[in-house]
Amino acid sequence: MIRSKRATSAAPRAAAIGLAALLALSAAGGAAWADDKDLPPGPIHDRHELMEEVGDHAKAIGDAAKAGKPADAVKPAEEIAAALEKFPTMFPAGSESPLSRAKPEIWTQKAEFDDMAKKGREAALALAAAAKSGGDLKAASGKMFQTCKGCHEHFRKPEEGE
Amino acid sequence: MRPLAHRRRRGSRRVAALALCAACACVSACGGGADAGDDARAVALRGDASRGERVLALAGGCGCHTPEKGPVGAGGVAIETPFGTFYSTNVTPDEETGIGAWSDLEIARAIRGGELRDGSVEAPVMPYPEYAGMADDDLRDLIAYLRSLPPVRRENRAHQVDLPLPRLAFRAWRMLFAGHARPPETAPRDGVARGRYLTDHVGICGDCHTPRDRFGALERAMYLAGTPFGPGGELVPNITSDRETGIGGWDVGDLVNLLQIGMKPDFDNVQGSMAEVVDGVAGAPGLGKAPEEDLRAIAEYLKTVPPIHHRVVREATKEKEEDR
Repeated sequence: MIRSKRATSAAPRAAAIGLAALLALSAAGGAAWADDKDLPPGPIHDRHELMEEVGDHAKAIGDAAKAGKPADAVKPAEEIAAALEKFPTMFPAGSESPLSRAKPEIWTQKAEFDDMAKKGREAALALAAAAKSGGDLKAASGKMFQTCKGCHEHFRKPEEGE
Repeated sequence: MRPLAHRRRRGSRRVAALALCAACACVSACGGGADAGDDARAVALRGDASRGERVLALAGGCGCHTPEKGPVGAGGVAIETPFGTFYSTNVTPDEETGIGAWSDLEIARAIRGGELRDGSVEAPVMPYPEYAGMADDDLRDLIAYLRSLPPVRRENRAHQVDLPLPRLAFRAWRMLFAGHARPPETAPRDGVARGRYLTDHVGICGDCHTPRDRFGALERAMYLAGTPFGPGGELVPNITSDRETGIGGWDVGDLVNLLQIGMKPDFDNVQGSMAEVVDGVAGAPGLGKAPEEDLRAIAEYLKTVPPIHHRVVREATKEKEEDR
């Protein structure tokens, strides 16, 4: 691990802070992204935020399943479907960045990326339908998760290392 | 980039090397890990390969021994540590380059005692101190499974050890840090006892999730509290029951989902080493292929692990925060 050298007097301290900040951004070969509060305004921030919301909705689906209240899963599943419709439009050219976990494949394999988002959207709508009709939430959740995972594995950088 | 890389810390390695050398001076042949008598007892009966496949799945597929694209068990995977680069060994039953010519006892000694056929001690990159607690029945079944693998002819690659007198250093390390386990004859069958056993001696979760000290030994006081010095620089999360920094907010079902299909409560998927542990490598079974009741036992045990408040962050991030 890279460790910045501690500065002992005031003058190099500013430099040390700068260095530490730089290291924070460049650790693990440049693939570092911070909490979204540290992301500058723009598409990277917005899509990160949207995915955080998707995660919250997904948690709500899990909670509904656990509580035996499938009706509570309908709204969050529909929210996820809506988010996934918007999501593939949030990658304008030039928004690739070390701050982002987006892989270049998003731009070079755009059709596949769009298709994966569509599959995710369909799985979310199927989950909403299952939740409405008292169908198998667990099975529908499993299918939706596979679409999340499939897209992450192809189009998202791992969080650390690798 | 596999499970099992040790924590990286600069500066203290020289101290560690000197201490190991000093320890060498007083090292006799005495060991650590499981006792040879226990290993003889374990292999006195014949193992069952299909049950052994379940043990392998619960061990996360022993992925260090399988190259990313296979073949299973062929070894040669580079594992980088602060003490050098180590290469996993061929554990297929090839007569010349694998374990085909080894006796069951020799294989048992290697897994639980860290001892190789020529009497030398393995580099502790192989987590034999943790496998030392593996039950006799699981061990002999695992050996039977290894013997059922297709033999692959692939020479082992020499480690590039960054320590003086590595053979003595590994022997000293075993004496100092490996403990003296007395493995049970049969594995606990169910409940939290089974979960604890699987966590500590088969799945060896602590091998990645417990931080290591400057000698590369596990810091017991930080049991399962996570570390920023995981394999390949991965952040390894705190899996103690601390609500804020660990998995205290997860229930057993959440944990089973993670172990079984790599799914987190927000439907995100695990990546990196944990994905390999769940999915297995190159077709070898991982945790996802293990029986659900075993994964549930692990989950139930993890919920009993005392909470340790420990937020795992990248070192550089920590320094940035301190400097604010």
